[in-house]
Amino acid sequence: MTTNLLQKRWVRRTLALATLIVLWEVLARIGVLDPFYMPPPSDVVAVLFSVFADGSIWSHLEATFSAALLGLVIGLLIGIILGFTAALVPILAELLEPLMMLLNAIPRVILAPLFVIWLGIDLGSKVALSLVLVAVLIFFAVYGGIKEVDGRLVERVRTLGGGRRVLLTEVYVPSVTAWVMGNLKVAVGFAFTGAVVGEFVASTRGLGYLLQFAQSTYNAALTLALILLIMGFVLLLFSLSERLERRLLRWRYR
Amino acid sequence: MLRARDLTLAYAAEPVLEGVNLEVQAGAFASLVGPSGSGKTSILRAATGLQQPRSGRVELDVGREEIGFLFQDDALLPWRTARQNVALGLRIRKVPKGAALDQAEEWLTKMGLAGLGDRYPRELSGGQRKRVAIAQILALRPRLLLMDEPFASLDAIVRAHITQELLGWVEQEHMTVLLVTHDLEEALSVSDVVYVLSQGPRARIRSRYPVPIPRPRNVLHARTDPAFAPLLERLWNDLSEEVRPGAAGQRKAAE
Repeated sequence: MTTNLLQKRWVRRTLALATLIVLWEVLARIGVLDPFYMPPPSDVVAVLFSVFADGSIWSHLEATFSAALLGLVIGLLIGIILGFTAALVPILAELLEPLMMLLNAIPRVILAPLFVIWLGIDLGSKVALSLVLVAVLIFFAVYGGIKEVDGRLVERVRTLGGGRRVLLTEVYVPSVTAWVMGNLKVAVGFAFTGAVVGEFVASTRGLGYLLQFAQSTYNAALTLALILLIMGFVLLLFSLSERLERRLLRWRYR
Repeated sequence: MLRARDLTLAYAAEPVLEGVNLEVQAGAFASLVGPSGSGKTSILRAATGLQQPRSGRVELDVGREEIGFLFQDDALLPWRTARQNVALGLRIRKVPKGAALDQAEEWLTKMGLAGLGDRYPRELSGGQRKRVAIAQILALRPRLLLMDEPFASLDAIVRAHITQELLGWVEQEHMTVLLVTHDLEEALSVSDVVYVLSQGPRARIRSRYPVPIPRPRNVLHARTDPAFAPLLERLWNDLSEEVRPGAAGQRKAAE
């Protein structure tokens, strides 16, 4: 029975994680790990519970989620539109591709201070950073997706009499959807990175702001609790993205 | 039905084929054989407008919408079901969606794929995918059928079955066919006339072999016809001569 259970990957993974947490708890309790720097998991959970219980976390969650989700949606739209435009209008590709390559080459979070100067410390600057992170990623997914569309499918549709519109709806859009969905999980991570880093740089609310506060007060338990919280939400969004991917690309997964 | 007139096709400075003349009469089944790189496929692409000739032309007695092109790869849309793939050409021709899907289902049944309409291409075998591709073309009732080694990837038994079925449809629908193939036996067993292309670049029509085996044909029985073996031997020798090392150079020098 036990052997059978251990053969399942999720059981082995859960056991490994549980072992790590117990080890961490024990080492912190007996003083091998300094609780000032590495508080035990039970303390981290207690802090997490308290910020939810006293309601102080909600406005920060709302700020970060608003920035991340707005950045994700607008970034997806901009990335898709620019990707299609560049792929279908060669002269625009010559303008867009170098700019996007430049943006892709640099660590885009360095733009955060500039967005604060331009847009202030409110939501706008965080959304801007998130959407830039997402849009560049999606631009290359769409642009590359269209460039690498299977030429045989294009010729097949053309010999059946299909024109530009049919090629777009029957070949390019489905093909690009596969590429975009393949990058959606990364985009979700990027959107949260943009929001949190933006809040880190300058803000009055948000998980990034709270992290900055926890760091400045040397509150390791709150820092770990917030990291845990962000990880939890990102994993939840990963799982939703995966469901969406399986639904939209059922021809690949069925 | 289809005439290539002094057709020259090129992808680079040197043409892959040059000054090609061939004719496929209405109702005829013609095959085009030749060494790799002789531009067989390019002729079909030129006929469908996928490739522009450098010079010369392809004359057609039918509109582009009356041409069916069966590719070497089944080239089905992976995100569409078998039924949707078959309906695609009909939808492009403005057949309402419901009617197109109904017709697609009928063609799938005719091709022995009843009940598989909801499957995606990756859920079908190679033979089944090929049948879907054929159904997609036949549903459009083409008058001219162009085929580029359509069954090369199939095993011998499936290939013989599908070829025979297709021959039945060709007879029933009175289609004109131009088949590109590497397989000399296949070419002789199905065709009224076989054209041999010389080695490229600058390939030309080297010879033309009428096949005096009566139609309708059975692809297996055709091979036992008294005319078959001698023709195959001539065709074989002809092509062997063409692919012999240095043959192209000698031909060029002679020209």
